[in-house]
Amino acid sequence: MALVRLKAVLWLHTLRLWRYKWSFLNLILSQAMWVFLFILGILLFVPRDYIGLACREAFWIIVAWTIVSQTSTMVGGWMRFFITLGMIEEHILRNISPFNVVLGRIIPSSAVSIGTLLFIALIFGEAFNTNVFSVYNIGLLVLGMLLIFIQSLAYGFTIAALSVRIGISRGIFEILSFAIVGLLMVPVENIPSPLNTLFLSVPYVAPMHLSKLALSSSNFMLIQSTIISLVETVAMIIVAVHSVTSSEEWIRRQGVKAVGFM
Amino acid sequence: MGLISLLKSGIMLDIYFFKNNKSELLSMLLWPYLMLGLILGAGMLFGSTSAFKQNTGLNADPIIYFIASTIVAMAAISVMWEVGGNILFLRWIGALPYVLLAPHRISTTLILSYIPRYLFLSLIQLLEFAPIIILVENLSSGVLKILVLALAIVVGMLPLLGFSALFASILISIKEETHVLSWLNPLILLFSGALYPAYLLPYWTQVISWILPSTYTIELARLASIIGSPQLAPITFLIGVLLGMTIVYNSLAYILIDIGERKALGKGAI
Repeated sequence: MALVRLKAVLWLHTLRLWRYKWSFLNLILSQAMWVFLFILGILLFVPRDYIGLACREAFWIIVAWTIVSQTSTMVGGWMRFFITLGMIEEHILRNISPFNVVLGRIIPSSAVSIGTLLFIALIFGEAFNTNVFSVYNIGLLVLGMLLIFIQSLAYGFTIAALSVRIGISRGIFEILSFAIVGLLMVPVENIPSPLNTLFLSVPYVAPMHLSKLALSSSNFMLIQSTIISLVETVAMIIVAVHSVTSSEEWIRRQGVKAVGFM
Repeated sequence: MGLISLLKSGIMLDIYFFKNNKSELLSMLLWPYLMLGLILGAGMLFGSTSAFKQNTGLNADPIIYFIASTIVAMAAISVMWEVGGNILFLRWIGALPYVLLAPHRISTTLILSYIPRYLFLSLIQLLEFAPIIILVENLSSGVLKILVLALAIVVGMLPLLGFSALFASILISIKEETHVLSWLNPLILLFSGALYPAYLLPYWTQVISWILPSTYTIELARLASIIGSPQLAPITFLIGVLLGMTIVYNSLAYILIDIGERKALGKGAI
């Protein structure tokens, strides 16, 4: 039965991805265009000799930002749409957790993220003659990005769980996403000790630092970043699971808050 | 219903929209600062002010340069979405047939009900940045530069309205407006030199930038970023170009939106 439900969820999101293919293509194009526009503005400050290096670092920050913003908005933000459709009650009545359905949003969010990033990499390569994929330590880069993905997924689920109880504006999502990109850009090396350890404890910062280390031969705070990243990821998963469980119980007792608004 | 009523309805719509959507108001106030903070912060982290001056070839202050860029970019996005993209919104809420049946032409309704919103939102953004401009410059120079920015916003609006209505005339007959507008907006900003000067882009993009009214609005606003007092000659020249474009784009929009409306009604696309 669990396999049938999983198949249904995967089928739903794959089918939606196909039916809204132009919308997703448009999302990829517009996202890539916006990022490119911002990067061009930032590159105005970079001396011509360092543009290649700056492009590579900027690209991987964008990768992390795209993963964070896409996963949190497309997973967390989709709950609002799901509530509006009245699908929460439908699924609960059939003993299916609405959060399992939301989990399937990984399919479109990954598709948009990967499409956007490949497009941006192509633009960077063409415009600045830079290979953004040339890295020193591929394993560390994959670990960093994987942890960012899990953390953003946990955050998305926490938001989705909260959104059945309280209203969360899309504008707030976007502002948070902007604040995160600011944090991801700050070099940990420039922050004095022990404040740098505190800074690494901010969600996404430690795994991003791991990814930045993968681009150079530096090992600055590698052990601390790895430990903080892992502990933080586990903590965020626990918070997400707890939020989802308590929200499910809350829905069964109180009903979805959207009913009151509709 | 007179034209004044249309303007008044635009004002009332905005007042009630922000009264009932406080998070939207907050987001609107924070957004320009976030854009500016991101570009300046990242720019300073990856490079320097001297490299900025060398790359642009301008003796400009990067803070005022990007304030001007941000204000005009936000205004241009707003015009494109609110006039060009409003067709989509009206269709979503089911009000498009009523707007089409209203005594005024849809282009007139779209433009006149939007003007108060544009002026109101642009003024708020200008006031938001005014303290930084005065802080970077001194009071008298700061006020002068704010006036140049205000002039760019007002004069730049005129051709942009026609340009966006022209888009509305094309979009009215297709059903997938967002797919076009979402990526067209950043593309237009890119070609207009919104954050990266158009003259540094490849030649073929410069040719496109010449026909876009936003290019000249951005150039006019950016005159405020040049260190020292703004020169009158380039201001006058750019205002002249924008006024010429106002006549061309608004006349074209006036003719074409009627054709678009009739075509859409004929096809039942609405």
